[in-house]
Amino acid sequence: MDWDSIAPILVSGIVLGSLYAMMATGLSLIWSTLGIFNFAHGVIMTLGAYVAWQVGTEDGFGLGIAAGLALGVAATIGVGCLIEVTLVRPFLGRANVVLLAVITTLAASVFIENAALLTWSGRIKQLPPLIAGDASILGVTVSAHEALIVGISPAILIALWLFLKVSRTGRAIRAVSQNRDSALLAGMNVPLLYALAFGMSAGLAGFAGILLGSIRFISPVMGGEPMVKAMIVAIFGGLGSLAGTVGAAYLIGLLEAVSVFVIGLYWTPAVLFAVMIGVLVMRPTGLFGRK
Amino acid sequence: MRQRLDRATVGKIAGAAALVLLPLVIGDSYLRHLVIVAMIYAVIASNWDLSLGYGGIFNFAHLAFFGVGVYFCAIVSKVLGVSPWLAIPAAGLAAAAAAALVCLPVLRLKGIYVILVTFAFGQLVLHLVISQAEITGGSVGMVFLPALEIGDYKFTRDGKLGYYYIALTVFLLSTFFLRRLVKSSFGLAVVALRDNEEYAVSRGISLARQRVYTLTASALFTGIAGGFYATYLRVASPEIFGFGVLSLVLSMLLVGGIGTIWGPVLAAFALTFLSEAMIDFGAWRHLIVAAMIVLVLLFYPGGLLMALDGIARRVTSAFSPKVD
Repeated sequence: MDWDSIAPILVSGIVLGSLYAMMATGLSLIWSTLGIFNFAHGVIMTLGAYVAWQVGTEDGFGLGIAAGLALGVAATIGVGCLIEVTLVRPFLGRANVVLLAVITTLAASVFIENAALLTWSGRIKQLPPLIAGDASILGVTVSAHEALIVGISPAILIALWLFLKVSRTGRAIRAVSQNRDSALLAGMNVPLLYALAFGMSAGLAGFAGILLGSIRFISPVMGGEPMVKAMIVAIFGGLGSLAGTVGAAYLIGLLEAVSVFVIGLYWTPAVLFAVMIGVLVMRPTGLFGRK
Repeated sequence: MRQRLDRATVGKIAGAAALVLLPLVIGDSYLRHLVIVAMIYAVIASNWDLSLGYGGIFNFAHLAFFGVGVYFCAIVSKVLGVSPWLAIPAAGLAAAAAAALVCLPVLRLKGIYVILVTFAFGQLVLHLVISQAEITGGSVGMVFLPALEIGDYKFTRDGKLGYYYIALTVFLLSTFFLRRLVKSSFGLAVVALRDNEEYAVSRGISLARQRVYTLTASALFTGIAGGFYATYLRVASPEIFGFGVLSLVLSMLLVGGIGTIWGPVLAAFALTFLSEAMIDFGAWRHLIVAAMIVLVLLFYPGGLLMALDGIARRVTSAFSPKVD
C-alpha cells in the first residue's frame, strides 16, 4: 500500500474522530459530574440539526445558516438544562439513580424523537455546508465543511479544557464531580452547576448534529448511530477522563475507517463492539481510565 | 397476616383460571392476539426482573437474549428445516448460552459499565444479524417462518386457540419457575449479593457463580418466548433490538415495580392494552407512554403494584372494624 491509498483512510478517520470527540466529551462530562449516563444524547444531536434547518434554510425561516447554527446550539443547551431539571434532578439521591436516569433519559429520547417526527415529518432533510468549496488535508481533497470539522473540533475541546481548568465556574464543576459534599459545604451552587454541565454537554451534541447535518441526512433517528459510537468512545477512553475520551475518539475514528476499508461497511460495527467488550474485559475502567 | 396471604393466593389462582377460561368467553381472534402478545411481554419483563430486580445486575442485554431466541428459532426452523416444536425450546437454550457468554465481560465489571457492555452486546448481536443478510434477511428480516401444526391442524385456526394455550403454558411455567427460584435459597443468595455484596461474599456466596446462574436462568424462558414469538408472528425483524422495544419492556418493569415478578407481569398486560388502545394516536402514543413512565417513577417509586397495594390496604382498613 502506498501513501495515496492510505491518506484517504487517514483523513476519513480524522473527520469521524473529530465528530466523535465532541459527542463523547459531552457524555463523559455528564458522567463525571452527575454520575449518570445520558441516553438522550443522540436525540439532542438530532434536535440541534432540526432547529438549525428550521431557522437557517429557505424551506424554514430562511434566516441564514449562521443564525441556524446559533439558535440550534442555544436550543439544545436549553433542552439539556430542561432534561437535567425535570428528568434527572428529582431522582438524584435515590438508591438506584443510575438505573432510573437510564430510563428517564431513554424516555426523553423516545419523547424528543417522536416530537421531531410530528413536527418535521419523517422526510429526510439536509443542511447546506457551513463553508462552501473544497480544501485539502494531507494531499487529499475534501469539502471545506469537512476541513472545518477537523479544525473546529479540537479548538472547541481545548476551549472546554481551558474552561474546566482555569475559570472559576469550570473549577467549581470539577470540584463538584470530585466531591459533591465538600463542594456543597464550600457554598457552591451544586444544582446550578449540574444544569450547566448538562447544558454544555447538550450544546456540544447539538453543534455536532449541525455539523453532521450537512454530511448526512437529517431524520428523527439520525442521532442513534453517532450516539452508540460516542458511547463506545467514552467507554474506550474511560468515562470521565477528558483527554482519554478525545484520544479514544480519534483512535476509534481511525479504526472505523481502516475497518471499513479492509473488511467492509457491514462488519465494521460488529468489530467496534467486539473491540470495546474486549477492552472492558482486560481493563474494566477503559483504556485510559483510572479508578 | 394469614388472611392477607390467602387473599394473594386466591388472586393468583383466579388470575390463572381467568386466563385459562378467557378463550371460551372471547371468541374474537384479535383480542386473543392481544392477550398472547401481553403474555409474551409478561414473560420477557418478569424474567428481566430476575436479573435486574432481584440480582441487581444492570443487564441491558435482556432484549438481545429475546432476539437470540427469535433468530435462533427462525434460522433453525426455516433454513435448517427443523420442526418449530423442537426449535422453540432449543431457542431457550440458545438464549441461555448467549447469557453465559455475556457473563464473561460482566463478571469483572460494576455499575454503569455493566449497563454499557450489556447494551453493546445487544448492538453486537444486531449488527451480526444485519451483516449476515443472506441468512437473516439483514435489515428487512425474515418472513414466512414455519408455523406450528399437528398433522393437518394449523394452530392459527379456531381464532388462534392453539397459539393461545401454548403462550399460556409458557407464561404459567415461566412465572411458576421464577417464583420458585426467588423463594429458594438460591434466590435469597441472589438478593443478599444485591443488598450487601461484601457481606454476602464473606459468608461464602460466590459472586461469579451466582451471576452466571442468574443471567442464564433469566435468559431461558426469555429465549423460549422469543422462539414462540417468531413462530407465532412468523417474522423475525431486527427492530426487536431497538430502543423502542427496550424502553417499552423496561417501562413494564419499572411501572410494575422491580423485584416483585408480579409487578412486571401486571404492567405487561396493562401497557400492552393501553398502547393498543392508543394505536390511532400515531407518534403521540410514544410521547404519552414516555411521559407516563416518568410520572410513575416520580410519584410511585415502588411501581404500580405497590401503589395498588397501598390503595387496597387503605380500602380494607376503611371497611374493616377497628380491632382496638
